[in-house]
Amino acid sequence: MGRYRYDGSFEGYLSTLCLALAERDEAVEFVRDAPETEPGLFDGPAIAVVTGKGEAAAFRERFAAEVSPEAFSMLCYAFHSEREGIENLLWQYVRLGLQAGPRLCSMIADKRVNRVDRLARAVSREAHRYKGFVRFRELEEGFLYARIEPEAYIIRFLAPHFARRVGDRPWVIHDLRRSVAAVYDLAGWRLVHDITLTGSPRFTGAEEGWAGLWRSYFRRLAVEERRNPKLQQKLVPLRSRKYLVEFE
Amino acid sequence: MTNLSLEQRLALLADSAKYDVSCSSSGSSRRGAPGMVGSTGRGGICHSWTADGRCISLLKILLSNVCIYDCAYCVNRSSNPVPRTVLTPGEIVTITMEFYRRNYIEGLFLSTGVVVSPDHTMEQLLRVARRLRREERFNGYIHLKVVPGADAVLVEEAGRLADRVSINIELPSRRSLLLLAPDKPRESIIEPMRRLSGLIETSRLERRRSRNAPRFAPAGQSTQLIVGATSENDRQIMTLSEGLYQRLGLKRVYYSAYVPVSSDRRLPALAVPPLLREHRLYQADWLLRFYGFASHELLDDAHPHLDMRLDPKTGWALRHLEQFPVEVNRADYHLLLRVPGIGVRSAQRIVKARRTCRLGEEELKRLGVVLKRARYFVTAGGRYLGGISMEGPELLERLTAPGGRRASLEQLELFPARDLSVVTGEL
Repeated sequence: MGRYRYDGSFEGYLSTLCLALAERDEAVEFVRDAPETEPGLFDGPAIAVVTGKGEAAAFRERFAAEVSPEAFSMLCYAFHSEREGIENLLWQYVRLGLQAGPRLCSMIADKRVNRVDRLARAVSREAHRYKGFVRFRELEEGFLYARIEPEAYIIRFLAPHFARRVGDRPWVIHDLRRSVAAVYDLAGWRLVHDITLTGSPRFTGAEEGWAGLWRSYFRRLAVEERRNPKLQQKLVPLRSRKYLVEFE
Repeated sequence: MTNLSLEQRLALLADSAKYDVSCSSSGSSRRGAPGMVGSTGRGGICHSWTADGRCISLLKILLSNVCIYDCAYCVNRSSNPVPRTVLTPGEIVTITMEFYRRNYIEGLFLSTGVVVSPDHTMEQLLRVARRLRREERFNGYIHLKVVPGADAVLVEEAGRLADRVSINIELPSRRSLLLLAPDKPRESIIEPMRRLSGLIETSRLERRRSRNAPRFAPAGQSTQLIVGATSENDRQIMTLSEGLYQRLGLKRVYYSAYVPVSSDRRLPALAVPPLLREHRLYQADWLLRFYGFASHELLDDAHPHLDMRLDPKTGWALRHLEQFPVEVNRADYHLLLRVPGIGVRSAQRIVKARRTCRLGEEELKRLGVVLKRARYFVTAGGRYLGGISMEGPELLERLTAPGGRRASLEQLELFPARDLSVVTGEL
């Protein structure tokens, strides 16, 4: 049995898959680089995987060619659910895929594929949802700043959308749950890890004015005769309201 | 009139705009471009939901709630003593850009009361759209109302600037229109709709030949009609919608349950808006657009009204029990779509999954197919999932039994857009 230690990133995971496939391992254990994952007394030694862009890209190409691009995209979305044990679930998925080929994507009634399919759709749904839920605030420092706390690690799916959309201002989308931010500097975006706030963000003078205008517009737009807070709560769950200006 | 603050005026004009139910930002797909602000996505994006459970996608606003017309059902009718106000084109442009950059909205849905003349009013709307597109380089979604009676040149410019255009048909029949909106003869509404439809179709064909051909309302045109203010039955309404979809190529017909905003004697005194009826009409509308149903299958002389106890597809299935049960492993896609409880997404997943595997009850559940209603209409691997034998009256009772959802909760599904947009790519 192979025991692999990788850096927790998607590219790192793909590099690990490359290695494990080359070793023809069957049962594989994945550990993430973190202080608390020091090997236990009875664990064998873990092979440290070096994250390689080349390996990751090679795996991607191989999987897309032998199975399908759609299957790779499922793998990518499902990985970012960060669900406990996702590495092993996807390891089964990948091995099954390399056996089954292009049929994999239609095997959604198969338990192994179904679990991946469900996770992938949940992540993709949340990523779509957050394209609407991100709220930028204008900071004194001269950029737009948005806070989010999504269930899944969706920031890499959001950043390209906003880079295309709000391309004329620098912006930062900050996932406070994971201390990671997507930073856009007019030329392109990148992920910055281990971000912590040193103080509360300082909004510009105009910012509160626009937020207030939006809030009052939002309240007035509801038709009183059709009031339906239950439906509203189903569509905007309380946990996603924390940074929505109109619910403050 | 201009002594009011920006916030007060925005609030007043939101009040005046909120009865227009169109909200979607779908149907147009434009990536962002350097030097421009904004993009549009085919499926549309909802940004928030108000306390009535309706989605906010676009900044829905009136340029002015002053109106020379006196349509009885309308909150902005000239005889209604509500405060009147305007926003300047500059103010709307600034609000749109500031809201858009903060990602509050997906774009602008601009309408207005009619002032001076239709041409004058249309020109005011165009002024906003021009500034957004040319000065602000705004590439996001714009939905423009077209004012009935406006000059063809202006209407054409609207289509060049906007993603979607709309003219509200308001009431389902000529007679009702005459009764409640004497200033808007039916021709003044249908004629420009027809012209828009022609321009949209021409541009679509031209763009198929050359990608550089100019776009004309790439997200098409929509319309809205008020339900429950006049005496038309559901059959008349759905026949009208079907005609609008088939003959004029409309993208959407919106149904708006009449909210009593007036005590005019010509209008019914409703205690509450007919929300369940509105919901059933939307369900029937979906059946027309995505499920291959014709309106005469859902409604006919014997059944001129949709059954409030049942969704229209279940109603249809109960009248056609001879076509059921269908075998999920064999039935073709279009037949699966006719099974109560099986939607577009479930039907697609069934068709996909059965290529590699024989489907039984457990597989169906795993696929996420909701069997609550569907089980009475399908077999899986030869086994009937309904348990009881199929007898019309008995089945009807079972499907409408308490323990199912109460009618007042039915409107939880009022806006199927969120789920369906993913599947159909169109709100």
